Amino acid sequence: MRCLIGRSMGRSTGNDEMDRILSREDEILPSSGFAVYVMDAVRREAAAPPPIPFPWKRALPGLVAGGFAMALVLVAGVVTILRMARASTAPQLSLPLSLPSALTPIFELQRNLGSAAGWTLLALLVSFVSVKLSMRLASGRP
Amino acid sequence: MSANEDQADVERVLTGDVSAFEGIVRRWQGPLINLAYRFCHDRGRAEEMAQEAFLRSYRALGQWRKDAAFSTWLFALATNLYRSELRRIPARNASVSLDDVAEPADARDSDGGLEERDRDSAVRRAVDALPEKYREALILFYFHEMDVTTAARTLGLPEGTFKARLFRGRDVLRGKLPQLLAVPRLKEA
Repeated sequence: MRCLIGRSMGRSTGNDEMDRILSREDEILPSSGFAVYVMDAVRREAAAPPPIPFPWKRALPGLVAGGFAMALVLVAGVVTILRMARASTAPQLSLPLSLPSALTPIFELQRNLGSAAGWTLLALLVSFVSVKLSMRLASGRP
Repeated sequence: MSANEDQADVERVLTGDVSAFEGIVRRWQGPLINLAYRFCHDRGRAEEMAQEAFLRSYRALGQWRKDAAFSTWLFALATNLYRSELRRIPARNASVSLDDVAEPADARDSDGGLEERDRDSAVRRAVDALPEKYREALILFYFHEMDVTTAARTLGLPEGTFKARLFRGRDVLRGKLPQLLAVPRLKEA
């Protein structure tokens, strides 16, 4: 088998020489305690508690709320951009699009604090809530 | 080495008998350490990599689908680990470029024969300096005693691709070490 494959793969006795040299690679013996050492590691691995599953039940309300807030912010952002674009082309139209009632408080806040400050505050608030939620989930507190 | 023993040990481990894994370790410690040694040429590192390969195989034992021999699955897992380990921290000899590998200045002894030790050493240095895909093909081919099918499976390659890499790797070696791997018929002509 060895010679057949060696010859079929090669073109000449140059390959036979290569086969001879490379097949003669030094063999090393495992250290005396190798198997014991590996089994210790395997037993440690077996004794370790299984990985903690992700707490979907606890995280789901937060994820849903986060997703909703994100969608709200995105919609509000798109609406604002459209409104600004319309305003620049037709200044006489102050509110060309009818806003969903849920977004009204966001735009009220924006009007009161100025657009940049409003968005910054909103971003900070969302970040703060995300960090607090993550820390709470990581610490395992209900 | 018995495939039946491997299968029996795997089944015992999967039912919760961790000590049955020791049979697998004892049967395969030599081959796994030697395979690692061919990749890194460092005994200590070879044992570390082999230990990690056993640990990973213990964790992944349930994924062995029995459509291939346990040994093939184990070698494939180990080879992938060794390859990624050596990409992360290359072997000390990996910095040698193929251009730096030279044939011994006087490769022939007084009887006109080649000095065996110098020749073997030059060929192995040249193998170490080959591009990764050719080097792996050569290492696995000779490790599996020139069984192309098993070596290709271990690398997860189609046989044709494996043979092409092997052929190209040997071609590069012959080109680099023409005198050591000379074709006698050419000299006779």
